[in-house]
Amino acid sequence: MTPNPPWVQALKPAGPQGHELLQLERDKSSVPVAKLSEFLFTKEAIERKRRVLKVLESEKVFNKNQNYFAGRVDRFETALARAKRLRQLKVQHGWNQEDSIVANDLISEPGPYGLHESMFLITLRDQGTPEQHELFLKKAENYQIIGCYAQTELGHGSNVRGLETTATWSPEDKTFIIHSPHLTASKWWIGSLGRTANYAVVMAQLIIDGKPYGPHPFVVQVRNLKTHEPLENVHVGDIGPKFGYNTMDNGFLLFNHVKIPHVNMLARFSSVDLSTNKYVRPMSASLVYGTLTWVRSHIVLQSGSVLARGVTMATRYCAIRRQFQDRDAPQSEKGETAVLNYTMVQVRLLPLLAATFALHFTGQGMMRFYAESQKKIHGNANTASADRGAGPEETHAGSDSLADLHAASCGLKSLASSIAAEGLEVCRRACGGHGYSSFSGIGPWYADYLPTTTWEGDNYMLSQQVARYLLKSARSVKKGEKPTNDTTQILTEFLARSDMGAAFDIIGKDEDLVAAFAWRTAYLTFEAYKHRDEEKKAWNDLLVDFYRLSKAHSQYLVVKNFYEALQSPSTTDVLNEETRTVLHKLFRLFALNTLEQESSEFYQSGATTVRQIILARTNTVMKLLKEIRPHAVRLVDSWDFPDWQLDSSLGRYDGKVYEDLFHRASELNPLNAITVDPYPESSVLFKNDKSRDFKSKL
Amino acid sequence: MPDFTDALKPAYDGAATLVEERNGSKIDVDELSKHLLSRDGFLERQKRICEVLESEKLFDKSQQMNLSRPDRYHLGLARAKAIRRLVHKHNWGHEDAKMAEYLTDEMSPFHLHLTMFVTTIREQASDEQRAYWMPKIMGWSILGCYAQSELGHGSNVRGLETTATWNPETKEFEIHSPTLTASKWWNGSMGRTATHAIVVAQILVPSPSFPTTLKSHGPHPFIVQIRDTKTHLPLPGIVVGDIGPKYGYASMDNGYMLFDHFHVPKTAMLSRYATLDDTTGTFTKRGHPGLVYGSLTFVRANIIMNARLVLARAVTVAVRYSCVRRQFRDRDEKGEGPEMKVLDYPTVQVRILPLLATTFALHYTGEMMFELYGSTRESIEKGDFSTIAELHSASSGLKSLCTTLAADGIETCRRAMGGHGFGGGSGLVGINADYLSKPTVEGDNWMITQQVAAYLTKKMTIAVEKPDSPPADSVDELFQMYLRERDHRIPQNAIHGTQIDDKAVVEIFQWRAADLTYRAYHARVVEKKPWNSLLIQLHELSRVYSEQILTTTFHRALTSSSSSSLSSPTPSVLRTCFRLYTLYTLSNSPLPFLTSLAISQSTLDLLPDTILSLLAELRPHAVKLVDAWAIPGYLLDSALGRYDGRVYEDLYDRAHRKNDAMNKTIFNVDWRSDEVVLGSGDRGRGILAKL
Ligand SMILES: Cc1cc2nc3c(=O)[nH]c(=O)nc-3n(C[C@H](O)[C@H](O)[C@H](O)COP(=O)(O)OP(=O)(O)OC[C@H]3O[C@@H](n4cnc5c(N)ncnc54)[C@H](O)[C@@H]3O)c2cc1C
Ligand SMILES: Cc1cc2nc3c(=O)[nH]c(=O)nc-3n(C[C@H](O)[C@H](O)[C@H](O)COP(=O)(O)OP(=O)(O)OC[C@H]3O[C@@H](n4cnc5c(N)ncnc54)[C@H](O)[C@@H]3O)c2cc1C
Repeated sequence: MTPNPPWVQALKPAGPQGHELLQLERDKSSVPVAKLSEFLFTKEAIERKRRVLKVLESEKVFNKNQNYFAGRVDRFETALARAKRLRQLKVQHGWNQEDSIVANDLISEPGPYGLHESMFLITLRDQGTPEQHELFLKKAENYQIIGCYAQTELGHGSNVRGLETTATWSPEDKTFIIHSPHLTASKWWIGSLGRTANYAVVMAQLIIDGKPYGPHPFVVQVRNLKTHEPLENVHVGDIGPKFGYNTMDNGFLLFNHVKIPHVNMLARFSSVDLSTNKYVRPMSASLVYGTLTWVRSHIVLQSGSVLARGVTMATRYCAIRRQFQDRDAPQSEKGETAVLNYTMVQVRLLPLLAATFALHFTGQGMMRFYAESQKKIHGNANTASADRGAGPEETHAGSDSLADLHAASCGLKSLASSIAAEGLEVCRRACGGHGYSSFSGIGPWYADYLPTTTWEGDNYMLSQQVARYLLKSARSVKKGEKPTNDTTQILTEFLARSDMGAAFDIIGKDEDLVAAFAWRTAYLTFEAYKHRDEEKKAWNDLLVDFYRLSKAHSQYLVVKNFYEALQSPSTTDVLNEETRTVLHKLFRLFALNTLEQESSEFYQSGATTVRQIILARTNTVMKLLKEIRPHAVRLVDSWDFPDWQLDSSLGRYDGKVYEDLFHRASELNPLNAITVDPYPESSVLFKNDKSRDFKSKL
Repeated sequence: MPDFTDALKPAYDGAATLVEERNGSKIDVDELSKHLLSRDGFLERQKRICEVLESEKLFDKSQQMNLSRPDRYHLGLARAKAIRRLVHKHNWGHEDAKMAEYLTDEMSPFHLHLTMFVTTIREQASDEQRAYWMPKIMGWSILGCYAQSELGHGSNVRGLETTATWNPETKEFEIHSPTLTASKWWNGSMGRTATHAIVVAQILVPSPSFPTTLKSHGPHPFIVQIRDTKTHLPLPGIVVGDIGPKYGYASMDNGYMLFDHFHVPKTAMLSRYATLDDTTGTFTKRGHPGLVYGSLTFVRANIIMNARLVLARAVTVAVRYSCVRRQFRDRDEKGEGPEMKVLDYPTVQVRILPLLATTFALHYTGEMMFELYGSTRESIEKGDFSTIAELHSASSGLKSLCTTLAADGIETCRRAMGGHGFGGGSGLVGINADYLSKPTVEGDNWMITQQVAAYLTKKMTIAVEKPDSPPADSVDELFQMYLRERDHRIPQNAIHGTQIDDKAVVEIFQWRAADLTYRAYHARVVEKKPWNSLLIQLHELSRVYSEQILTTTFHRALTSSSSSSLSSPTPSVLRTCFRLYTLYTLSNSPLPFLTSLAISQSTLDLLPDTILSLLAELRPHAVKLVDAWAIPGYLLDSALGRYDGRVYEDLYDRAHRKNDAMNKTIFNVDWRSDEVVLGSGDRGRGILAKL
C-alpha cells in the first residue's frame, strides 16, 4: 500500500478546523468538566481508568485498528488472544476485580472468558456447598477449568420451567443422567461455550423416580482438559454469526445419556438425599433472586454510560459538522451552521444527553437500594417462602422492600436498556452519512449492546412482573393497609385525592412534575386492578396494559431518582452553581420530554391538562434545548471516555474528525491494497492482492 | 459426519403448526399475491430468476456472514460479474438483472453503473455526448459511478468544494480538490470498481474582463475517467480508494477521491441543460431539467415499493416464527396442553401486526404514485409537470416516512423474536444493516421534510389569501374546506361502540394535516418566527401530511374494483388492515389529533380496546397474509421465517453443519499459553500479524 502522496498529506479540512470548533464549544460554557466527572464516578475510579488504560495501550494485541475490518473467525481468535493477555496482565500487575472490569470496559468487546468470569463463578459461589467450592470453585478461580452458564435452550429461553434437558437420578449407582430428549432441548446461546469452555453449569429438569422437580443446576464437564475435544456423547459447538457479539463464541450443547456424580448437582439450596433418594427442598429462594436483582440493577447502572458513548460521539460530531447556512441568517454572516444548532438535531440529541444523567443517577440509586436490602435479608434469613420459581413479588407482602426492589429492578432493566438501545440508533442516524460508517463507532457498539434488551428477562416479559407487584400493592392499599414503602405511599395518596383531582403545576414546580408521574402510575395501577380483580379479565388480555403500566412506573422511578439526586447534599455540597443549574435543566428536559411523549396517559389520568402539555412542548422544551445547547460538549466531556475506548472518528476529543476518517479509509484499509479487474467478461477478480503483506506491515 | 443428534426432533412440530395456521384462514393466497405483485410481471420474474440463482454455487448465502470486509467485497464482485454472464446466457432484460440483484440481496459493486451513472448520462448529456457514451456504458467497456457527496458535504450540494475551473487558453477544465473535506466520499462502486465517474464540481469561469476573478456557476456534473482501463490503476493526479467498513453494504466499495489539478476536456461537462461558450466564456443554463423532476418522483415511488417489500420480509419472518415459537402455558388455564404460540400474546401482536397492516398501506400509495407517474408521463416529458407537482412535493415526505417505517419495523420484528432474533439464522441481520442506510441516503429523512412543509405552507398562504379561487388540486380543496370550517369544527367520532366509521377516520387524518399546515403557516408567515425554531414542528407536519396520503389512498383502494372483487374474506381482512394501520398510527401520537379538534375524546378513550380487537380479528389471517407477499425462501435466507416451519431443524443445521469456519478449529484456551489455535505452535504470532 502506497502512503498518501504529499499533495494529499498537505490537505486540510475546509473552514474552521475541528479542534478549533470544539475549543469554541468548550469556551461557551464554564461547567467544570473534571469536577463533574469526579462527582459522577469518583476520583479513584478515574485514576484507575488512566492507570489501566496506559497498560492496555502499550500492548500490541489490544490494538483496535483492524477490529472493524476482520471476519468472524479472526475476530474470535483475536478476542481469545486478548482474553489470555488480559488474564496474564492481571496476574502480572496484581489487578483486582475492579481493575479487570475497567480493562474490559476499555477494550469494549465481549470476550471468550466472559461467562466464565461472570455467571460460572457466581453460580458456583452462590449455589455450591463448601465441598463443591473446594471441588469446582477453586479450580475455576485458577482457570484450571473454564466454564459457562447453560440455561437457555433452542426451544426455551423466557420459560425456564419449560426447559427440556433432563437430569434423571439413578439410585443404583448414585449418579445423574443428563440427557437431551429433543432437538429443542439443545442448549443454545450459551456464551463462552462454543469453542472455549470445558465445563458448564447446566440447568436441567431434575427427575427422581419418574417425578419432575423443576430445573436445577448441575456442573458438567463438556471437553477434555488436554485435547479440548468434546467428551463422548457430548455434542457442542458455536452457533454461528450474529447481529453483534461476534467476538463471543455463543454455543450449543446436546447430551446423549451422560452420567455425572451426585456431587455435581449444586446443592446449596436443594439436593437429592444420598441415602433416602428423596428430594431436599430449598431453604430460601431469595438469595437466588438476589443475584438476578443485582444483575438487573447493574444493567440499569450501565445503561447511562452505554448511551453516553453514543451521545458523546454524536454531540461532538454534530458540533463540528456544518451544513447549509441558516435561512434567516443576515447576509453579512458567512459560513455554514453547525448541525447541532438545528432544532431538528437538538430535539434528537439533547433529550438523550439528559437521559444519560437520569439513568446514571437511577442506576446509582438502584445499587444503593440493593445494598440496603441485602443487609436486611441477611439480618432475617430463612423467613422467605420456599416456593421455588415464584418470584418474591408473590411470596412477600406488598410492603416488603425486597419485593419493591425486585419489581423496580425488572421495570428499570426493561426501560433503561430500551432507552439506551434505541437512543444509540438515534445518535447514529443523527450523524447522517458518516454515522453509517463503522468508523463512527456507534454502529458496532449498538450491535453488541442489543442483546441486553433480551437477556436477563426480555424487556416485554419483565413488565408482567412489575404489574404483578403493583397489583399486589394496590390490593393491600385497597384493603386499607398502611403504606410501608414508596409504592404503597403513592397509591394511597392517589386514592385519597382522586376525588379532588390533581392540578399539578408541572411547569412551575419540580415536586409537582415528579408528583404527576406518580399520579399517572397510580392511576394506571388502579385501572389494571379494576380490569383484573373486578372485571376478572384474562391475564393475557391485559398484557398491553401491563406493559404500559410497567413503563409508567419505571419512568416515575427515573424522574424521582434524578430529582432526588439533585436535591441530595452530596450533590449540592460538591457541585458549583452553574453545574447544578445545568443539571437541573437536564432534569426538566428529561421529565417534560418524556411527559410529552406519553401525553395521553397524563391527561387521561388527570395528572395534567392538554393545555399544559402543549405549553410544555412549544415553550418550555424549546427554551430548555436552547439553554442546554452551549453546554452540550462540556457535558459529554464529563463522561470522560478516552478516545482509545471510543475508537471513533466522529467522537474524537480533539475534533479531528475528517483527518481521522481519511486516515482510516486510506491508510488502515486492507481493501485498498487490492487492484481488481472490473470487467464482467473477465473471470479474474483481483489482479493484485497485497492485503496480506499490507496487514503484516502495520 | 453422522452423530447422535441426527435422530433428534423438536419437541413441537413447527411444520404442523404452520399447516394448521394456514387451514385457519380462507384467504386465497395466490389471488392476493397476484393482486399485490403483478406489476411488470413481478411474480413470474421472481420465480424464474430465483430458480437460476439457487442453482449457482456462487450465490449460496450460507457462509457470507463469517467473511471479513475485503472478502465480502471479493464475493460481491464475483457475483456482480456472474450476473452479467447470466444476463447473456439467459438473455435477461434489464428488469431481470435488477431482480437478480434484489434476490442476491447485497449491494452489487456494479450497482451505480446501471443506476445513477447511466441515468445522469441519459438525462444530462447532450445528444453527441449520449451518442459517444451510451454504447460504452451498455457494452460494459467502461464502469461508472456517481461522485457527488464529499467528506464535508452531503445534504448541502451547493456547498460542495471540488472545483472545475475553465481555462480559456487550453480549452480545458481543471478539476481540483482544494481541501481535505473536498474529497469525494461515500460514492458507491468508486472505491475499487469504477473506471469512470460522474463528478459533481463547482464550475468556475474567469471573467472575460478580469481574468483573475473567477465566477462561480454552482455545482455541475462532469464525466471523468478515473482509472486506467488496462491496469485499473488510478490516473496520475487522482487518489481514489474504498472508505472502509460500514454498518452494512459490506459488498459495496463506497469510495473517496481527490484531484490534483486534473485536466479534462471541455466535452467532459455534461451539456444538455448548460453550455459554455469557448470564445466568450459565457456560461448559459437553458431549460428546466423537467425529466429530472419527473424521474425523482419515479425514484421515490420505487423507494416506497421497495420499503413495502423490505417490511413484508421482516414481518414474514416474525409472523411465521412467532407461530412456531411456543413459550409458557396460559396462566389462566389449568391443564397440560401445549404451550402458547407467542403470537397469541397481545404484547407480541401489538408489535408485529400493525406492521403487517403497514405493508399494505405502503403498497397502495406506491401503486398510486406509479400510476400517476405513468399516466402523466407524456406531459411531464413535454415539460408540463403541473399534474404531478403535488405528488412531487409530497414525495420527499413520503420517502422520509416510509423508509423510517420500514427501517424501524425491521428492528421491531427482530426484537419481538427474543434471543433467536439476534442470531444469523433470523435472516434479518443483513437486511437490517443494509436498509439502515435508507433513512440517510437520497435525502436525509429529517432534513428533507422541510421541502414538503415549505410547499404546504405556500399552498396554505394562497388558500388564505384567495379563499374563493377555484382549487387546482386536492390540497387546495382540503385547505379551503378547512378554512371555511375551522371556526365551527366539531371533533369527530370515528368509533361508535364496536363500529368503526372508516370515512370519519380518513377525514380525521385530513383535518389534522390541514390544521398542522395552518399552524405552520401562522407561525412562519403571520408571526414571522425564525425557520430554525420551527423545524421540529415542520418535521411533524411532513409526517402528518404523509400519513394522510397513506390513509386516503389506502381507503380509496379498498373501494376500488381490483380489491373489492377479491374473493371473501380478503376484502374484509384488508379493511381490518386499514383500520389497524390508521388507528394504531393515531394512538401513537394522539395529541395533534386532539388539539386540532380532529377527533373526539370519546374516540380516543375507545382506542386501546378497539386496537386489541382489531389485532384479534387479524390474528388468524396473519400467516396467509405474509404468504401473499410471496417472498422466496432464497431471499428470506432465514431459519426463523421458513415457509415450512422447520425452524429448529434449520437453526441447528446452520450451527452444526454449516458452521465449520468456527467449529472445525480447536482453540487453546489456557491463558498461560500464548498459542491460540491448539497445536499450531505459533505462540499467537499469527493473530498478532493480522492486527
Ligand atoms: C447474545 C446472547 C447471549 C446469551 N447468552 C446466554 C448465556 O450465556 N446463557 C444462557 O443460558 N442464555 C443466554 N442467552 C439467552 C437469553 O437469556 C434468552 O434469549 C432470553 O432469556 C430470551 O428468551 P428467548 O430467546 O427464549 O425469547 P422468547 O421467550 O422466545 O421470546 C420471544 C417473544 O415472545 C414474547 N413472549 C414470550 N413469553 C411471553 C409471555 N408469557 N407473555 C408475553 N410475551 C411473551 C417475548 O416478549 C418475545 O417477544 C443469550 C442470548 C443472546 C441473544
Ligand atoms: C451507504 C451510503 C451510500 C451512498 N452512496 C452515495 C453515492 O453513490 N454517491 C454520492 O454522491 N453520495 C452517496 N452517499 C452520500 C449520501 O448521499 C449522503 O450521506 C446524504 O445525502 C446525507 O448527507 P450527509 O451525510 O452530509 O448528512 P448531513 O447533512 O451532514 O447530516 C447530519 C445531520 O444534520 C442534519 N441536517 C443537515 N442539514 C440540516 C438542515 N438544513 N436542517 C436541519 N437538519 C439538518 C441531518 O438531519 C443529520 O441529522 C451515500 C451514503 C451512504 C450512507
